Amino acid sequence: MQPLSPSKLLTRFGAAFMAIALDVGGMAVLFYKVLRCFFPPKLDGMETWRNLYKVGVKSAPIVVVTALLVGAIMVIQSGALVAQFDAFGLLGWGAAFATLREVGPIMIGLMFSGRVGANNTAELGTMKVTDQIDALRALAIDPITYLLVPRFIAIVSMMFLLTIVGDLTALVGGAYTGQVLLGVSPSLFASSVIEYIKLEDLFNGLFKAFTFGVAIAVVSSHYGMTTSGGAVGVGRSVNNSVVASAVLIFVLDYFITSILH
Amino acid sequence: MIRISEVYKYRGHECVINGVNLVIPQGTQVGLIGPGGAGKSLLMKICAGLVRPDSGSVLIDGTEVVGIGEVEMTSVRSKIGMLFQNYALFDFMTVEENIGFPLRQLGGRTDDEIRDEVNRLLLAVDLPNTQKLFPNELSGGMKKRVTFARAVIANPPILFYDDPTAGLDPVTSGKIFALLEERRERGGTTSIVVSHDILGMRDICDSFVLMDHGRIVFSGTREEIETSTRPFVGQFWRGEADD
Repeated sequence: MQPLSPSKLLTRFGAAFMAIALDVGGMAVLFYKVLRCFFPPKLDGMETWRNLYKVGVKSAPIVVVTALLVGAIMVIQSGALVAQFDAFGLLGWGAAFATLREVGPIMIGLMFSGRVGANNTAELGTMKVTDQIDALRALAIDPITYLLVPRFIAIVSMMFLLTIVGDLTALVGGAYTGQVLLGVSPSLFASSVIEYIKLEDLFNGLFKAFTFGVAIAVVSSHYGMTTSGGAVGVGRSVNNSVVASAVLIFVLDYFITSILH
Repeated sequence: MIRISEVYKYRGHECVINGVNLVIPQGTQVGLIGPGGAGKSLLMKICAGLVRPDSGSVLIDGTEVVGIGEVEMTSVRSKIGMLFQNYALFDFMTVEENIGFPLRQLGGRTDDEIRDEVNRLLLAVDLPNTQKLFPNELSGGMKKRVTFARAVIANPPILFYDDPTAGLDPVTSGKIFALLEERRERGGTTSIVVSHDILGMRDICDSFVLMDHGRIVFSGTREEIETSTRPFVGQFWRGEADD
């Protein structure tokens, strides 16, 4: 393969930079348009309930299963050290600290971006390429108000609420695994959590969950609304949406952790 | 009335709508015909404010739609009904919800009133007992009739039909054209029909506009187009191939 000439390399770099700038700018404009619909609040009640059900209720089982396993894994990972130093009284703290502040929001965020975000992009993208978005506009209905605001509310609120559910489930999973693998009683596990975990640890994770929810909602909606090129275009948009959401989750996590630490 | 003046639209360097001028008087039904890629559907979307032209002016009942904001455009669009080429039915709604959707958004009617109006229209388009079906359970012809019902349920004074018989068998096409004709006979509606089905369009339009390569190459009544001496116009109208 021939090496690229400097001018071609620069052109490619410029094109990639412009594409990223276009996406970031598009997301910022979309976020602004969605926020504007809250002052005064303009949204379709039926569509909001439909999305809350679809995003919240239907995601709950997978979040619960994932969180149970996350809690269990935390205990398995720390189990060897806990046994080595005979620090069974700190098992609950160790598992809860990592779960509440980091692993819970990140795991649930990634689950959400894969399940809810991808679904959101695919739905909006299909509506775009089959003229359903244009049909809404032709019927004098603003797609932002009718389609995006309910999805934004559903994704952000359910990400937040399911993170609380996920945190609690992970602790249950951790306590159960601690008892089975290390013989740590659930009461000792719980007292360790209550004694050492601060509310700040919980709020730190919930704040992350909220920002991840905003990121997933904006990114998935942006890629859905800018889809073109039929079924292939929908697939491309879903792929971009999942990748961009995952990257953004880690970038946000890095900055939030740096600021709040 | 719809008045289109000096409208240009570019796609990259290609001019896809090339200086179009057209006046559609109130209450008339115009057939917009031409070969594939002539710019018919695009021109219709420009008229409906769904695509912004690069320059020119489009007046819908005296209101300029080029360059106005989405909020102002909403009030213009409330006067417009549109039948899309590929149905554009909302696939998460049932037939009943799709057709009643414009009325529900307009407000001022009870659920029972909307249901009655939907049922009346479903009978008119010969689709009884399909209320609870979803679009993916319908055939192409049924979808077109549902789209037609959704476009007309709010009685908009302006209607755009984008290829209403595309991909349909002759019998179903005949039914769709009969619905368009019935609508025209009721009067008061200004409409544009884009179609390749010249035979079906002949009796349902007051006048015809022939487009080619983004330009209007002919505009006139059925008699005028039938007696046109211009080779391209005559060939296209009679569906003859080039020599």
